[in-house]
Amino acid sequence: MLGGTVRGSTVRLRLPTVDDLPSYQRWSADMRVRAGGPVGLIGEPAMQATWKERLIEWEKEKETVVWSIGAESSLIGMAAVRFSGAPAADTIDISRFVIDPERWRSGYGWDAALTLHRWIFDVCHLRVADIDLPADNIAGLRIATKLGYERYALGHAVHYRDGRWHDEHQLRMDLDTWDAGWGKTQREYATPLGEELAR
Amino acid sequence: MLGPRIDGRNGVSLRTPTIEDHRREADWMLEPEATRFWGIRTTSRRDERLDEHFKKNANSPTSIAWSIWYGEEHVGFTGIFDIDWITRDAESGIFIGRSDLYGRGIASEAVRLRTAFAWQELGLRRVHNWIELRNRGSRRANEKGGYQQMGRYPKSHFRSGQWHDEWLGEVFAPGQGIPGDG
Repeated sequence: MLGGTVRGSTVRLRLPTVDDLPSYQRWSADMRVRAGGPVGLIGEPAMQATWKERLIEWEKEKETVVWSIGAESSLIGMAAVRFSGAPAADTIDISRFVIDPERWRSGYGWDAALTLHRWIFDVCHLRVADIDLPADNIAGLRIATKLGYERYALGHAVHYRDGRWHDEHQLRMDLDTWDAGWGKTQREYATPLGEELAR
Repeated sequence: MLGPRIDGRNGVSLRTPTIEDHRREADWMLEPEATRFWGIRTTSRRDERLDEHFKKNANSPTSIAWSIWYGEEHVGFTGIFDIDWITRDAESGIFIGRSDLYGRGIASEAVRLRTAFAWQELGLRRVHNWIELRNRGSRRANEKGGYQQMGRYPKSHFRSGQWHDEWLGEVFAPGQGIPGDG
């Protein structure tokens, strides 16, 4: 599935389009992005026609939701989640999360992550979100920790690059953690609906 | 891929799966005795779908499946899947469908054979898995095969009136060590 609009304070998760695909291609071939671990591997570099096929496949996949991330009228990243535990899925994996390296250290990553988790916990009211991050993805781990993720497992020597092995942090965040830390301030609709039956 | 025949100890062997094995396994996965730590006993049992699933497994370049035999009886299945041929890492799984044969060490021997194949024939470096914490038999079988805990996932799923945690394990090929950066 493709995701619709979710607004953050500086970013907007929005429907991916064919026009976004050249940027997806560029990120897929950028070693800085790929070093982010599984969340940075959008797909292997490919022809434009292949990216179009991938977009069509993403649209068909019922357990996956894909967004482009925009800011200041530009495309700055992409994100994808995958529901886990069908048919009664109440858990979601953050499977892709990419911010354009040219936009790093601008706060977009944090705002996009917070916005994505508002969709996960406030809109969908899911029970758990999971993410796997290499031990050297410092920015990713910092954002996850700030959101409230906790490590439940440490996979040893999972990722190889720059001539050495890196461990993998397997992290999860529960709905209770979201509600305690962000539930009061991060609401999609600030005012709940009233009882409309009286109309 | 479908795995080759490997004969083990105490009458246990891993054998190349057949479509008949696959259909028998689908029936086991509908029985409460064998699925307390498995799925929710829902499936499509059409032969066409099972054939398609079997063919998909057989053609997959990133997984290897075996039937587990005890003497001359098919009793379960095991496999290595999601193989990453670049990092030489994979996930493993096992299912004993014949609940009347639990406690005879069949799973332990199957895990031993599977793990040895991963190192000696596939050249893998690491294999990991998820096992329900309360599934003591499966966990012990994997621990005897060298798997060590790398974490626990609390409240993984709610079934039959209680939450269930998952045990996460990993095992490394001899000489690989654990050269991580935590």
